[in-house]
Amino acid sequence: MSYVRIENINKSYQQQKVLNDISFSIEEGQFLTLLGPSGCGKSTLLRAIAGLNEIDSGSISVGDRNITALPSKERQIGMVFQSYALFPNMTVFENIAFGLKMDKMKKSEYTPLVEEMIALIDLKGKENRYPAQLSGGQQQRVALARSLVKRPKVLLLDEPLSALDAQIRRSLRTEIRLLQKRLKMTTIFVTHDQEEALTVSDRIIIMNQGRIEQEGSPEDIYTHPASEFVARFIGSYNVLKRSDIGLDSLPDTELFAVRPEVISIAPLAEAPVAELGTATIEGKVEQLYILGNVIRFTVSAGGLDILVDALNNSTVHRIQEGMDVRLFLPADKCEPLRQ
Amino acid sequence: MKPKTSGKSDGRKWHGTVLGVLLVYLFLPVAGTLLFSLARQWQDGILPDGYTLQWYGSIFTDGRFLAAVGRTLLVGVITVIVTLALMVPVIFVLNVYFPKWERLLQISVLLPFAFPPVVSAIGLIKMYSSGPVAITGTVWILIGVYFIMIQPFIYQSVRNSLSTINAKDLVEAAEMLGASRMAAFRRVILPNILPGTLVASLLSFSMIFGEFVMSRMLVGGQFETVQMYLYNQMNTSGQAASAVVVTYFALILVLSGLVLKLGAWKPKGYRSAQVEEE
Amino acid sequence: MARTSSIQNKMMLLVLIPLLVWLGAFELVPVLRMIAMSFQNNDGQGFTLGQYVKGLTNPLYGKAMLNSLKISFISSVAGLIIALVCSYSITRFTTKLRDRMIMISNMITNFVGVPLAFAYMILLGSNGMLTLIGKELGIRSIAGFDLYSEAGLTLTYIYYQVPMAILLVYPLYNGIREEWKEAAAMLGASVWSFWRHIGIPVLLPGVLGTFSILMANALGAYATAYALTGSNYNLLSIRISALVSGDIFPNFQLGSALAVILAVIMIASLVINEWMASLSRRRGL
Repeated sequence: MSYVRIENINKSYQQQKVLNDISFSIEEGQFLTLLGPSGCGKSTLLRAIAGLNEIDSGSISVGDRNITALPSKERQIGMVFQSYALFPNMTVFENIAFGLKMDKMKKSEYTPLVEEMIALIDLKGKENRYPAQLSGGQQQRVALARSLVKRPKVLLLDEPLSALDAQIRRSLRTEIRLLQKRLKMTTIFVTHDQEEALTVSDRIIIMNQGRIEQEGSPEDIYTHPASEFVARFIGSYNVLKRSDIGLDSLPDTELFAVRPEVISIAPLAEAPVAELGTATIEGKVEQLYILGNVIRFTVSAGGLDILVDALNNSTVHRIQEGMDVRLFLPADKCEPLRQ
Repeated sequence: MKPKTSGKSDGRKWHGTVLGVLLVYLFLPVAGTLLFSLARQWQDGILPDGYTLQWYGSIFTDGRFLAAVGRTLLVGVITVIVTLALMVPVIFVLNVYFPKWERLLQISVLLPFAFPPVVSAIGLIKMYSSGPVAITGTVWILIGVYFIMIQPFIYQSVRNSLSTINAKDLVEAAEMLGASRMAAFRRVILPNILPGTLVASLLSFSMIFGEFVMSRMLVGGQFETVQMYLYNQMNTSGQAASAVVVTYFALILVLSGLVLKLGAWKPKGYRSAQVEEE
Repeated sequence: MARTSSIQNKMMLLVLIPLLVWLGAFELVPVLRMIAMSFQNNDGQGFTLGQYVKGLTNPLYGKAMLNSLKISFISSVAGLIIALVCSYSITRFTTKLRDRMIMISNMITNFVGVPLAFAYMILLGSNGMLTLIGKELGIRSIAGFDLYSEAGLTLTYIYYQVPMAILLVYPLYNGIREEWKEAAAMLGASVWSFWRHIGIPVLLPGVLGTFSILMANALGAYATAYALTGSNYNLLSIRISALVSGDIFPNFQLGSALAVILAVIMIASLVINEWMASLSRRRGL
């Protein structure tokens, strides 16, 4: 049986369904990411698991305990907030010790635990600083330590990085991942940033409009998007209709996702004939960018804008804006999308 | 299903009750005065024997009352205009061109709080009762001291308006486009700070209508203001006095309503965007 | 900023002159004059500390100070407690209702001095409405209530402290963020633990600052007490006014000394408030 089980959660808010029959489970020690655009319900779901939001129906269990009806403080779940939510009147040490103090631990008992945590998040020497005296990244590390020191059964991270600037965001997400692996902490991470989700997670659940769109490993989701929404949300997929591709050998669906790098491009004048099982589309180069050794073309073909990434070799090098080109799409690289 | 379902509605009830009691507490004196001012006669009963508007009739036909209202209006209008004319340019210049000097204004707005009327009246009486500028007992001394009393409110509100519209950026943009400083101030800044300034003016106005200490200590009966009239009336006819109190309260009510209307107004484009909640 | 000549820049400071003259004429010079007078003898001559000695040792003035402090302290504490409870309840409602309540409080702060004293006479004077109801129902404490006593004066002071305190306390609650409560709950804290360890410590500087403002507000007040009791009740502000504009022989020098003492207390209150505010700022509140 899985460690965390979320079963058939429903929640409406002013007649609008914000969570629509959500079910999934997490193995112990797994890092699961809830990914989706803002308003998709991911934060509501996380807060429901934390016990901060009520749900209309469904159940939540951790281990062999059903925690659906328990108040937050009895759930043994840790949570890190987007805005850090550090207590401004307490020092770093006092913030981290707070949860242990609430468990009626004595100072002599919790001091070594807190100190160990401070060392772990690399804030030694800053124990007596107040939150206002720390940088955003440091504050978020304190918030993380404050949750982890209680050894919660599950750790919830609610967009913990989105208030930070890009560089700190990248280093802190690696740090969080390492810490999570070291402590084998079962973690649910909420974000709207696909790159973040793809780099840190064991498993990703993509949500949209209160439903689960797709569930799988980062590789799975990246290479086999299941729906148009996922294909567009995850990155620069071309979403093409069956008629745009025009091959009989395609699987029997209407929409396909094609990654820019699987399409090849050649000037129309010298283009080879298509091999069997490869579709061709003719169009005109609208724009090109050089991204290191890759050139990204935007090709317009019959009202469509198709992105193509090609290695910068001698043939490709000769293609310029405004030139007529032929594109080659191998059928087996066209990912069928469910409607 | 739901964690902590109970407690929430109990809390609602409690907070509602608290507000209810608070409102009764705050409005009871006003309501009592209103009832008293409408009573024809009131002997020992809990409620009056009959109702009448005669007390309102009597004060509004009393030349002395109307004169007192006129005097207070006059002092109020002159003081507010003079204060605006003097303070707005100062606040603007310091805020936009000499931000370091703003400290000066911050000290000046604290003065009336450090020296309440009863304290500052002493030196004023001594200085202005005799000698070259003997102005106690005249309207001039009142304008002088009410200026001091209301300038903190004018400062606060004009400064807030200036920072809401990023006055410094606006002036710089206008100057880059070739406007002179005066033109930038008149055509760009002034229209945008007008509502905030109006709010402050109304608040100042209601303060002046409620002021008693200065007018008693510095002017007395020689220039009877509304509050002085009320004080004198209290000892002669209680019910007429209650009509004055109710009228005064109605004035505050109207001014507060105007303040609320104007306070919600923001220059176009400065309305804070509705934040989408997840 | 367009770099026009610095002379033109400096010229703009000329707008300060009328303001400075005005402040000088109606605030600074009179205050300095008062301070100077406080060090003179009864004939307005010489330099002496005698007025201060008299002000602080004479039982009449000592009692006035004590009464002022007592009434201000009680009314400030009571006003503050009422405001703490009520403001919290206000924060629990919708924005529209919150704005309404703040507007009402703001409006009632204008209801002080003579009108307030008069309204209270109508309610609780010897023939007041509540007094009559008290008599009817046989409630002694209301029926026999003496509005013109210390208790009566305290009651009216509390009335005008409440809306003022609400205006000052209400914004403090906005400083308490909802996530702190949630974070505390996630860490195992009860509602009470949250307030004990986070809520109250965070509010405290602001509350103490508010208290000092309320103290100053009550100490400097004159109109309400004067309208209610004339010069009968012995308060510092009443004494000062009686000494400089009363029916008895004026004594500006002694009045000035008392006024300086009052001003020092007021300034101390303002400094405490400023200090508390900066304490809150340093914590990033």
